[in-house]
Amino acid sequence: MSTDDNSEDGASVSRRDFVKAVGSIGAVAGASSAAVNMDLDGLWTDANQHYVGDDYGEYGASDVIHTTCGQCNTFCPIKVRLDDGSGTGEYSSLVRKLAGNPYSFLNTQPFAQVPYESDPEDVAMGDVDGSGDVDADRWSLSGGRICLKGQAGIQTAFDSYRVRKPMKRVGSRGSGEWRTISWEQAIEEIVEGDDELGHPGIRELWAHAPQDEVMADWDAVQSGEMDKSTFDEKWEDSLIDTDHPDLGPKANQIVDVGGFRRNFIRTRLWHQGLGSINSIHHAGTCGFSSVMGNVRSHDGKKKRQYPDIENCEYLIVWGTNPMVANKGPTWLAPKLTNAIEDGMRMDVVDPRLSKTAEKADTWVPVEPGADGALALGMARWIIEHDRHDIEYLQNPSESSASADDEPTWSDASHLVLVDEETGPKARAADLDLVPSNADNADDFVVVDAESGEPRPASDVDTAVLDVEITVNGRRVESAWSQYRDRVYEYTLDEYADMAGIPVEQIANVADEFTSHGKQAAIMAYRGPAKHTNGFYNTRAIATLQHLIGNYDWKGGQITPYAGYNTMSGRYELGQVPDGHSPWGIPLLRGGINYEDTSLFERDDGYPAKRPWFPVAPPQAAQEIYGSAADEYPYGVEALFIRPYSNNHVMGVAGGDQIPAILQDTDTIPLVVASDTVIGETSKHADYILPEPTYLERWENFGTYPNKRLADEKISQPAVSVVPNARPFENVLIDMWKRLDLPGVGDESIPDADGDLFPLDQAEDFYLKLAANIAYDRDPVPDASQDELQVFKESHEKGLGEQFDLDRWQAAVTDEEWPKVVTVLNRGGRFEEPVDDYASDFEEKGHEYDFAGRRDDTNAYDGDHMRYKLGSRVDFYSEVVPNGKHSYTGERFDPLPRVDDVEHYDGTVQAAVSGEENRDRPLRLINWKPRTQGMHRTQNSPWLRETRPENPLWMNPQDAEERGIENGDEIAIDAGRRTVDGIAMVTSGIRPGVVGAMWGWGRTGDGAESETVDGQTRGPVEADGHTPYQFDEPMADEAGLAKGRDAGFAINHIQPLDGELGDTGLSDLVGGSNAQYDAFVDVERR
Amino acid sequence: MAETDEEHGTPTTAARDDPDPVTMARARSRVYDLLAATFDGEMGRLVSALDDAVFVSLAEVLPISIETGDLETAETDERALGIGYDNLFVVPGSHYVPPFASAHAIDPSEEFESDSPYHSAGEAGELLGDPAADIAHLYDAASFEPERGDDIPDHLAAVFEFMAALCEHEAAILEEADPDAEALTSVRELQALTLSHLGWLDQFEAAVAAEDTVEGVFAALARIARTFTAWDARDGVQADGTTPDKSP
Repeated sequence: MSTDDNSEDGASVSRRDFVKAVGSIGAVAGASSAAVNMDLDGLWTDANQHYVGDDYGEYGASDVIHTTCGQCNTFCPIKVRLDDGSGTGEYSSLVRKLAGNPYSFLNTQPFAQVPYESDPEDVAMGDVDGSGDVDADRWSLSGGRICLKGQAGIQTAFDSYRVRKPMKRVGSRGSGEWRTISWEQAIEEIVEGDDELGHPGIRELWAHAPQDEVMADWDAVQSGEMDKSTFDEKWEDSLIDTDHPDLGPKANQIVDVGGFRRNFIRTRLWHQGLGSINSIHHAGTCGFSSVMGNVRSHDGKKKRQYPDIENCEYLIVWGTNPMVANKGPTWLAPKLTNAIEDGMRMDVVDPRLSKTAEKADTWVPVEPGADGALALGMARWIIEHDRHDIEYLQNPSESSASADDEPTWSDASHLVLVDEETGPKARAADLDLVPSNADNADDFVVVDAESGEPRPASDVDTAVLDVEITVNGRRVESAWSQYRDRVYEYTLDEYADMAGIPVEQIANVADEFTSHGKQAAIMAYRGPAKHTNGFYNTRAIATLQHLIGNYDWKGGQITPYAGYNTMSGRYELGQVPDGHSPWGIPLLRGGINYEDTSLFERDDGYPAKRPWFPVAPPQAAQEIYGSAADEYPYGVEALFIRPYSNNHVMGVAGGDQIPAILQDTDTIPLVVASDTVIGETSKHADYILPEPTYLERWENFGTYPNKRLADEKISQPAVSVVPNARPFENVLIDMWKRLDLPGVGDESIPDADGDLFPLDQAEDFYLKLAANIAYDRDPVPDASQDELQVFKESHEKGLGEQFDLDRWQAAVTDEEWPKVVTVLNRGGRFEEPVDDYASDFEEKGHEYDFAGRRDDTNAYDGDHMRYKLGSRVDFYSEVVPNGKHSYTGERFDPLPRVDDVEHYDGTVQAAVSGEENRDRPLRLINWKPRTQGMHRTQNSPWLRETRPENPLWMNPQDAEERGIENGDEIAIDAGRRTVDGIAMVTSGIRPGVVGAMWGWGRTGDGAESETVDGQTRGPVEADGHTPYQFDEPMADEAGLAKGRDAGFAINHIQPLDGELGDTGLSDLVGGSNAQYDAFVDVERR
Repeated sequence: MAETDEEHGTPTTAARDDPDPVTMARARSRVYDLLAATFDGEMGRLVSALDDAVFVSLAEVLPISIETGDLETAETDERALGIGYDNLFVVPGSHYVPPFASAHAIDPSEEFESDSPYHSAGEAGELLGDPAADIAHLYDAASFEPERGDDIPDHLAAVFEFMAALCEHEAAILEEADPDAEALTSVRELQALTLSHLGWLDQFEAAVAAEDTVEGVFAALARIARTFTAWDARDGVQADGTTPDKSP
C-alpha cells in the first residue's frame, strides 16, 4: 500500500467530501465497540511465549545428573537433564537441556539455594517447600541459573567434528590429513617410538636422577674430589647436560601442557610419577600478573581480591567486566544488579564502555596500561587529603590489629634496610634489638609511637608511619615512607596526563573511595594486568585497598576461597609412594634467578637469551614454543598438549608463530595432543587422542574465589557421546604402567592410615576425592536407599553400558559410598547460609536473604567476613627485589610504580611516563565476548547466531578521520599483519583506542577442512536460523550464524617481542603475556 | 484546508469546515465494513452498494483517478459476481489471487515444502505465515476475534472488519462526555499499525487487475481498497504519525 500515490501533486481529499461520499453506505451492523478492548502494551514487548511457557514436562531425579559446566572458566554447577528414550547413535544418551544446579548458591543468585539435605527427587520435581512453584511463580529452584554459553554445552558434547578415534598424522605435521588407529597402537607408538613417523618413544626419552645425589657429586667435582669424566659417565644417561646438572633430569624434557586436572595429572602423574618439573597450565595467557600482583601485596594463604558486593556502598570495577565475564553471568551479574538497585555506587575503569560500565555511575576510560598512574594518582590525592585510615596503618602486627578489631594489618610501619642491595625488611635481631635466638628475633621492626624507640612489631600497639632513621649503625626507612615517596614522584596533573583522565575525575573517584569507611572495595583483573607493566599496575591498585584497610570487612574486600578438603582427609591423593621428586630449572624459567644458574656463566651474564621470571611460578605459557625452538634452557623432546583448555595458537599473543615451531620435527620430536576436536594447536601434533568433553568426564574444577560461603564442585560423567574417547589421565595411567613409573596401578593412593589403594582409572582418584569432600568438617549424611537407587538409575540412563556401578563403588569403602553418593547426587558440597537451614527455608522461602540478614549467618562474623584473609598486607614487597630483569640485570621494584610497556630488550612499545615511537596510531585492546566462553565455544551455532563475528569498535572521532562508518568493511593494519574486519563506530570506546572481542578467526574445529582416513570433510558453512524480536514488535529478525572461521583472530595481530621474534611481549615480574599493547591503523576497504 | 506540516505533509490542525471527528470515524468505519463484506464474498451487500453507486462516489473523492466504468452497469448480476469472486479469491485455480497477506510475503516464514498451487518453492507464498501471526498479534491487543475471512487472520476481509471495529470504537470513545485520551491514542495507534501491515495490497491489486480482465469489477474494487487504505493511513487515521512502516 504505497502512500506515495497522492503525494506527488499534493492532492488531498476533503474530509467533508469523503463523509458525504460514503453517506449512502448503511450503518455498520455488528461492529460494536464492545468487540474492542484495547491493551497495546503487549505489542511493544516480546511475545509472551519467549519468556513464560505454560507447558512443561515433569521429570524426576533419575533423569538428572549434577555436574560442572566447562564452557568457560567460571565452572558453574549445573544439572544435566537426560533425554527420555534417546539412543539411536553411538552416544549413551542425548541431553534434553542443561540448567544451573539448585543446590549451589552460585547458580541461585540472588536467591538462596535449596537446603543441601533436600531429596533430589523433590528438587527435580520442584517440590521442595520454600523453593517456589513454577505454576504460580513462573520459576522455581528446581533449576538454577545458567547462561546461554552454558546451555550451548550440548553442542560442545555433540559436535559432529569431535575426534572419535585415536588419530595419527599422514604426511608432515600440520598436513591436515589423518588416519585412525587403535588405542593399543597409539600407546605402543608413543611409549616405544615409531619408525614410520620417525619419532622416539618416551621410554627412550625418559630418565630421572635424584637431585641430592647428583648435586653432591657436582659439589665433589667443584672441589676436585671427583673427576668431571666420572661425573659425566655416571650421570650422562639421566641428566639433560652433565655440564649443567642444574637443568635437571631428562624427564624435564617431557613436557605437559594443559589447563585442567592439575591435581591429578600435574601433581601425581607428571611431578611424582614422571619426575618432570614441566607441567604447565594456562596462567601466562591468563591474568597471571594480576594474581602475582595480589600475591605480592597480601601475605595470606589466599590472596586474590574481590568485593563483598552485597554490603558494599562503593565499588570500583577496574579492567574487568563482571556482568559478562570473571564469574559474571550467573554469579556476579544478579548480585551487582541488586546492589546497584539497593543504592551501591559503582564506577568502572575501562577504556571501553563495557556491559558493566553501562550500569556504572561513572565510566573512567583510562588509557590502556596507564592504570598504575591512575591508581598512584588516586593514592596521592588520598594521602594529600588525609583520607587514608591512619589508625589501621599504624597497627604493626596481628595482635595490635586484633585489639583494634581489624582482621588484617599492614607493613606500613615496618622498617626496611635501605642500604642492603635487595632492600629487605629489618628483623629485630638484624638491628640488635633482641638476641638472634630470641623468640621474636624474626619480628619486623617498627618505631613505637609511644616511646619513639624501634621495637619488635609484636610488642607495639601503635607504630610511627614516617620513619627515616639509623638504628645501631644501620639506616632504615619505613615502608610507608618509601611508598609515599614513590606516590609523590609525580604530581596529580602528571598522573592525570599519563592516565588520560581529568584531575577532577581522579579526585572524585578517590574522594568517593575514601568516603564509605570499610564499605568500599575494588574488583580488578585483566585490564590493568595484561601488559608488561601489569604486575606493577596491580600492585598500585592493591595499595589503594591498603590505604583504607577494607580487608575482611563486611562490604569491603573479600578473599575467602572457602571450600572443603579435596586432596586430603580420607585419602592423601597428592601423595605417591616412592614417587619421584621433580627438580631442575623449569623450561619456563620461573621462580629461579638466572644469576643463580650455571647458564649465567656459560652465556656471559646479561642479557639472557630469553626472559626469566624469577619471582613468578614457571607458568609463562607464552614462552613454551620459543623456548623449545631455542632449546633454552634445554630442548623439548616430547610435548603432551591438552588444547581443549590450552589452545595456545589462538590464546597466546603472537600464537600465529607457534605452528611453524610445532611443525618442525627436529625441534620437538614427539607431539601428542589429547583433544575433543582437531583444533588450531592439536592439528600440528603427531597424534590426536580423543578426549571426552566436560560432560563426559571427571574433574574437580577450581572454585570461585569471591564467595562468602564454602563450596566444592565435582564433575562426573553424565553422558558418553564418543565411545572411544578416553580421559587423558586414563591414557597416562596405561603409559605409566607400561613404563613402570610410580603412582599408578596397585598400592598407589594412601589413605589417612597409610593403607594403599590402586589407581587404575580416573574413578579411583575422583571418587576418593568425593569421599574427602564428604567427610570434611561435619560429614554429609548418608544417601538413603531411595537416593542410592536414584543414583544408579540416573547414571545408567546417562552413561548406559559405560557405567559400572560395582567398579565405582569399589573405589571407596562401603562405609564411604553412601556419603559419596550424597555428594555426587548434588554435584558437590555447598555450605548453607545458616544452621538449621531446611526449616527456615521451608518457612521463609528461597527469596529470603539468609546469609545477609540472619545474625547466625555463616557468611559473616559480626561486621567481618567469616572466611578471612587475616594477614599482613604489603605496601613493600621484599620478595620482588630478589628478582632481576634477565636482560639488564636490574632489580625489580619492591613498590608499585609507573612503568612503560616494554619489549624484552627495553624498547618501549607503549609509553606511560616516557616517550614511544608509534608507527600506527590506534591502541588495540580486546575483551571476552558476551556470548562465547572460549575460542572453543565458537563451534556452537546457537552462540554464533547471537554474534556472528567480532566487529572492531572505533570512536566516532577516529572513524570520521578515516571516512569510516558503522558497518563498513575495513582493513586492520597491525604492521606485521593486516586483517579484514567490520567497523562498529561507537562512543563507547576511548578515542585513540580500538578493540574487539577475542574468540574469532578460527582455523580449527570445523573452520577448515579435515581429512580422516581419506575422507575430506569441508568447513562448517553458515548455519542456524533463529528469528528473535527486538524492541519493535514483529519487525526484526537476526540470527544467521556465519562459519566457524568468521571474524579475525585478535592474538594474531599482537606485536611480537622485538628481541625474541617468536612470541608476544611478557611481564617479567608477573609472568603474563601482554595482550592490550598492539598498535594498528584502520582504513576503509 | 488543514494547515500542513511542510516537512511531513501531514495535517497538524483541523480546518474549520472539517466534519466532526465522530462523524469522520464513523464514515471510515462504514467504508471498511463495506470493503470487509465485499472481500468476504457477501454479494448481497456488494450488489446493493454497486446499485447505490457508493464505490463510484468514493472513487471520485480519492486522490487518484480510478476507472470506475466496470462498476456502473445498469443491472448487476449477483450470480456472475459471486462466480467471479469465487474464481478470484476462493478456488485455487488459474485465476486465483489469494486474498491474504501470507501468500504475498516475499520472505517465507520458514523453509517448507508445499504443493500449494500458489506457492513456488523458495519464493514464499504460504498460508498462515508470519503476516498472519503478526496481524493476529494486533487482534489480540484489542481482544478482537474476526468473524470474516474464513479463519485466516491476514485475510483482507478480516483486516477490514478489524479496521471497521477500531474506527467504530474510536467514534464511541469520542462520543463519551469525557473522552479517555489514552484510549483514543491507543485505538488510533492500533489503526495505524494495522494499516501499516497492508503493504501487500500493492501486489494484490496488480494481481487482481491481471486476473479480472473480463468483468473488471474486482479489479476496480481492489484498486479502490488499496487507494482508500493508503489515503486513510496518511490522512485518515489520527495517530501521531511516528508509527514505523512495517511494510514488507
